[in-house]
Amino acid sequence: MTPTVLIVDDHEDFRAFARRLLEAGGLKVVGEAGDAASALSAAQDLGPQLIVLDIKLPDAEGLDIARQLGETSARPAVVLVSSRDAGDYGARIEQSGARGFIPKAELSAARLLALLGMCL
Amino acid sequence: MIRRPQALVLLLGIAVASAAAVGALTTTNARPAPGATALHVAAGLSFIGVGVVVWSREPANRTGLLTAAVGLAWFVTDVRYLPSSVAFTVADLVGAPLAYAVLAHLAVAFPSGRLRSRSERAVVVIAYGWLILENLAQDVFWAPADSRCDCVRNLIVVHRDAHLHGIVGNVQQAINVVLAFVVLRIVLDHWSKATPPGRRALAPVFWASGPILLAVIALQAVGAFGSLKGLDAALAYLTPLALMSLPFGFLAGFVHSRLSHLAVGHLVIELGGAPPRGRLRDTLARALGDPSLMVAYWMPDFRAYVDTDGRRVDLPTEQNQRAATFIERAGEPVAALLHDPSLKNDPWLIDAVAAAAGLALENERLHADISAQLKEVRASRARIVEASDAERRRLERDLHDGAQQRLVSLSLALRLAGDQLGNAPEPLVRETLNAAADQLRLAIAELRELASGIHPAILTEAGLGPALQSVAERAPLPVALTVPTDRLPRPVEAAAYFVVCEAVANICKHADAHSATVSARRLDGRLLVEVADDGVGGADPSHGSGLRGLADRVAALNGRIDVVSPPGQGTRIVVTIPCG
Repeated sequence: MTPTVLIVDDHEDFRAFARRLLEAGGLKVVGEAGDAASALSAAQDLGPQLIVLDIKLPDAEGLDIARQLGETSARPAVVLVSSRDAGDYGARIEQSGARGFIPKAELSAARLLALLGMCL
Repeated sequence: MIRRPQALVLLLGIAVASAAAVGALTTTNARPAPGATALHVAAGLSFIGVGVVVWSREPANRTGLLTAAVGLAWFVTDVRYLPSSVAFTVADLVGAPLAYAVLAHLAVAFPSGRLRSRSERAVVVIAYGWLILENLAQDVFWAPADSRCDCVRNLIVVHRDAHLHGIVGNVQQAINVVLAFVVLRIVLDHWSKATPPGRRALAPVFWASGPILLAVIALQAVGAFGSLKGLDAALAYLTPLALMSLPFGFLAGFVHSRLSHLAVGHLVIELGGAPPRGRLRDTLARALGDPSLMVAYWMPDFRAYVDTDGRRVDLPTEQNQRAATFIERAGEPVAALLHDPSLKNDPWLIDAVAAAAGLALENERLHADISAQLKEVRASRARIVEASDAERRRLERDLHDGAQQRLVSLSLALRLAGDQLGNAPEPLVRETLNAAADQLRLAIAELRELASGIHPAILTEAGLGPALQSVAERAPLPVALTVPTDRLPRPVEAAAYFVVCEAVANICKHADAHSATVSARRLDGRLLVEVADDGVGGADPSHGSGLRGLADRVAALNGRIDVVSPPGQGTRIVVTIPCG
C-alpha cells in the first residue's frame, strides 16, 4: 500500500516541489498545510501515515508540535525538515518526539522511507 | 535692624502700655491690684516686643506682625479707663475678646504666618466674628450697676436684665471653650503631622497652648459660676503669666535658632577640611538639622537635576511636602537643596549654609556630571552592542528565509528534473544536471556557514549551552565542555559565545595544543567563562584584533577578559560578565 504524506511548510514553492518529488518517488501526498493550526486539523482529518514538518512555522515551532501531530488519530511518523543544519537545533530535535530530521535540500522519498525503515 | 513700621508699632505699644498702666493705677472704679496691673502690662508688652523683633527679622512672615497685634489688642480693654461712654462701651464689646481672636489666628497660622487650608481660614474668621460680636448679645441686657461714677455708661443697653444677661453669658462661655478646643485641635494636628525640624519650629505654640487653654477655661468658669475661692483674683495674675509663655517660647526658639546658626561656622570649618566625596550631604544635613535633606545637582547637558549617582531627581511640588533652595554660582545653577519646608522659616540659616557650601557643591556637581555622562556612555555602548546583535540576528533570519529557501527549492527542482529524465539516453544532460546539483549543494552549505558566522541560529534558538556544544563538536581537537543548562540574557550569551569561538579558533591556529577545556557557569550573579589549553602559551592579547574587539563587547556589558599565558604552560582566558 502506498504510504500517505502530509507536507507542512509555510513556503508554497517548497510544498509544490516537495509534493512532485515525493509523488515521483512513489509516495501519495494527501495534503499540504502552511501553518501549525491547519497542520493539526489536516492531520486529524486526513490521517496521513507520514508528516513532513518544517521546523519554523509562522504560528509555532515545528519542534513544539511534532509530538502533538504524532498523537493524532492515524499515529503518523513525523519527520522534521529545515533549510538549516541539524546542528543548529542541538538536542532539541531528539527531544521533540519526531522520528528524525532531513535537511530540506536533501529531501526525497527514499531518504524519508529509509529514515522510517520502510520500503515500497 | 528694626525698620520704620516696626519701630512705629513698638513706640505705639509702649505708649499704649504706659497709658494702660496709668489708667489702671489711677482709676477710681474697680481698681486692680498693682501686681496684677504690672503683669497685665508685661504680658502685652512681651507680645509687642517679641513680635517686633520677629517681624524685623522676617518681614515677609506675618507671625511677627500677628504677635505684635496680640499685644496691641491686649490693651484695647484698657480704654475703659478713659472717662468716655464710647470708650467704655468699645472696651467692653471688643476689649479682651479681640486679643484672644488674634491669638487664635496666630496659633493656627504659626509658624509661617499663613493659613494652610480653607477650614483653617473658616476657623479664624469665625473666631474674629464671634469674639468681637459675642459681648454684643450680653451687653444689650447689661449696664455697669456698681459704677460709682455716672460719667460712663454702656451705650448699647436696651433692657437691663441680670437674669437674661447671665443666661446669654453662659452660652457665650460654653462656645468660647469649644472654640478654644478647636484651636487646640488644629495646633495638635499640625504637631502630629510635623517632621522633626517642623516640630522645632512649632514648639513655642505647642508648649504654650496647654497653659493658655487652661487659663481660657478657668476664665470662662469664673464667668459662669462666679468667683471660686478667690480664683478670679488669682486669674488676674495667672492669665497674663499663661499668655506670656508664648512670647517667651518664641524667644527661646529664637535663641535656639541663633545656636543652630553656630552650626554654619562648624560647616565652614568642615568644608575647609574637604570632606570625603559623597559625605557632603551628611555634613549639610547636620548643619541644617534636617536628616531628610537631599542634594540634587544641575546637569546643564541634560537640563535636569540628578543625585550623586547620576539619577534624575524630581523637584518638590506643592503635594509632596518638600521645599527646594536653589544654589547658583556666577549666575549658573549649581545644585538644589531639597529639604523640610519648615527650614524656610529660618531663611538666614539655609542661605548661610548654601553660601558656605557653594564651592564644595560645585565640585560635587562636576563629579555627578561626570558620573551621569559615564552612565550614559556605558548605557549607549550596551545599546550599540545590543543593536548590532539584533542586526546580526535579522541578517541571519533574512538569509534563511530568503536566499536559502529559494536555493533549497531550486535544489528540489533539479532533482525532480533528474528523476523526470528517467532512463532517457542523454548522459550529457544528466551529467550537467548532477554538476548543477553539486554546485547548488555547495552554495547552500556556504550560505549556511555564512549565516551561522553572522549569528548562529542555535544560539538564538537553543542558547549558550547547545551553541558551545556545537563549537566543541566542530573543533579539530578534543574539547572538554561544562555549560549552563538555563538561558541567559541575549547580549551575555552572544558575548560569551563569540569569545569562546575566537579563543578556540586561536587554539587551533597558534597554540599547538592537544586538548582544550571550555567551561561556562553562573557565579554570584555573573557568568564566568574559562577557555584553557595545554599548548605552548606565550600568547600576547595585545596582538591581533580578534580578542581586543571582543574585550570591547564584554566591557560594554560591564564585564572583563583576562588572559594568562606563560610560555610553555598553555593559555587560559577568563571572562566574567554580570548577568543578573
